[in-house]
Amino acid sequence: MTLAIRTENVWKTYHPGSPRQVDAVRDISIEIEEGTIAALGGPSGSGKSTALSLIGLLTRPSQGKVYLGTEDVSKLSEVFRTKMRRETIGFIFQTQYLIPQLSAVENVALPLLCTDISRSKAEEIAKERLISVDMEHRLDFRVVELSGGELQRVCIARALMNNPKILIADEPSSSIDEALTKELLNTLRTMVDDEGLTVVVASHDPMVLQWADVRHLLHDGQIVQDV
Amino acid sequence: MGVRKQSNLASYALGNVLKYRTRSVAIILALFISTSILCSVEFIREGVITDVSSSVDEGPDIVLQRLIGGRQVPIPDSWMGNVTNTTGVRVATPRVWGYSDVGSGSLLTVMGVNATEYGGMINAVGTDILETGRFLNETDYRKMIVGQGIVDMMAASAMPLHVQVGTLLSLITNEGELIEFEVIGVFHSDSKIYSYDMILTDLGSAREVLGYENSTFTDIAIWTNFGSDLNSIAFRLDSRLPEARVLTSDAISDLMLKAYTGRAGVTALLWLVVLLAVILLAFTASSAGSEEARREVGLLKALGFDTVDILAIRMFESITLSLLGVSLGISFAIVFDFVLGAPLLAGYILGWGLVLLPGGIPLAISISTLFTVYAMGLIPILVASVIPSWRNAITEPDIVLRGV
Repeated sequence: MTLAIRTENVWKTYHPGSPRQVDAVRDISIEIEEGTIAALGGPSGSGKSTALSLIGLLTRPSQGKVYLGTEDVSKLSEVFRTKMRRETIGFIFQTQYLIPQLSAVENVALPLLCTDISRSKAEEIAKERLISVDMEHRLDFRVVELSGGELQRVCIARALMNNPKILIADEPSSSIDEALTKELLNTLRTMVDDEGLTVVVASHDPMVLQWADVRHLLHDGQIVQDV
Repeated sequence: MGVRKQSNLASYALGNVLKYRTRSVAIILALFISTSILCSVEFIREGVITDVSSSVDEGPDIVLQRLIGGRQVPIPDSWMGNVTNTTGVRVATPRVWGYSDVGSGSLLTVMGVNATEYGGMINAVGTDILETGRFLNETDYRKMIVGQGIVDMMAASAMPLHVQVGTLLSLITNEGELIEFEVIGVFHSDSKIYSYDMILTDLGSAREVLGYENSTFTDIAIWTNFGSDLNSIAFRLDSRLPEARVLTSDAISDLMLKAYTGRAGVTALLWLVVLLAVILLAFTASSAGSEEARREVGLLKALGFDTVDILAIRMFESITLSLLGVSLGISFAIVFDFVLGAPLLAGYILGWGLVLLPGGIPLAISISTLFTVYAMGLIPILVASVIPSWRNAITEPDIVLRGV
């Protein structure tokens, strides 16, 4: 068994020392194996998104350690953390964060623009990714012209652009219907099975939680149940 | 950093310029307006400085006038001996100045000089001070050398006249009579403030036109011995002639620059106000105040863009916007000043009385001015857009994106 992600007594405190101090995550220790799907469940405000941000290197823990593979990434410099995000991690954000003035292809190509792959090549790869999520009929549409389900597929395509080892998905089913959710989960399952992708998903959707290989339920920033 | 990556970032930045069209147009427009104002003024100011400098360099070291009760009055012939005998004075020659008209309605400067002395001192004989014809000589009477502006003005008048060597022009005297002069030369058009609207003739003819009594002058032009101290000579002249106002070439230069460029400061202030507005606009558009820009930086960081990549994008954007805005402003100023003759502005800056003829405005562009204008346009925009982006780029993406 190889661990893809491990957290060790991780705390995240926002605005420490101020009246607005919040312990968003408290003493979380989880282990996620490579090539599995792990779900973080729990009500709104339970710390799911913060836990994902910690694993996705979007923020540093206030206490504790985060390991990707065998490397402790919590103390790495910002340059290395950015490099790891660029090369290892794909994100599907809860708020999609697509750039409204850009087309679907341009949005999806974005992660490769900070590499030495040319823009035209990046857009070629982006087209392939979009076609793989059945978006061939909307390639050059601006994202403001797309439906909720189509937007979510654009986000999936963008998250896969850098061939990530770890995919972080925050409430991926929040803006799509049940049928699309099933389709999305099937796509991700195929990638996990075929390519050894590790998926960490935060959701309070029972269907998503049921689909995952392991589930960690959070409440008030703490893990209350591992399933 | 790879060339392809740089090219990607530049291409993304250019896309941003087009993407945020309203912001881009606002910044370019504001820069265009501020640069147009600054450059239109600056080209004139620089032209005046160049013109005054060359005029003063070519002119006498000291000009001596006579003041009674604070007003300038004619100088009697008896002063010449006193001036010539002053230690340090090499040559002193009288001049008669005033304004007259050739019937066109425009006032022209008439200057009478001693042809041999004055011509010799300003190196007029045998040099390219004249476009065509010859300089005055000792025996000339009712002959004139005219400025290029007079040639242009007569050619554009209701009854066009091609003024050239041999043309006869009549000047209106102070008593309303006409005196006919023959054109014997045309000045080169380089020194515009002095020669553009000037008629140069002999002392006697000038006196007839301007109503001066015989043996009186408007001022005395003095050239000093090489290496002598102008201020000491000026002091000696002042002591010998209590009614004299002694102007050294430096003082003349200062007076002219104050007279001609004083209002340029007011216009430059206006430019500063507009530029501040541009900075505020750029700051608002790219700072934390712009949620869209803030989120974009957070997203790019999350997707793996380094802080330097984000700064490079913002720099490419700022440089594109600044170059466009400033270049358009400079181009407009060139057309406005050099092609259209800076309507209204020239009159305001140089003084309405001075611009007697259209086209008589001295203009100049220097590399240093262009460099300064580009720098003044670029640096504030760069600072106003890069600093907020840098602040967002060094903040954790989680905080920027989720606003926690």
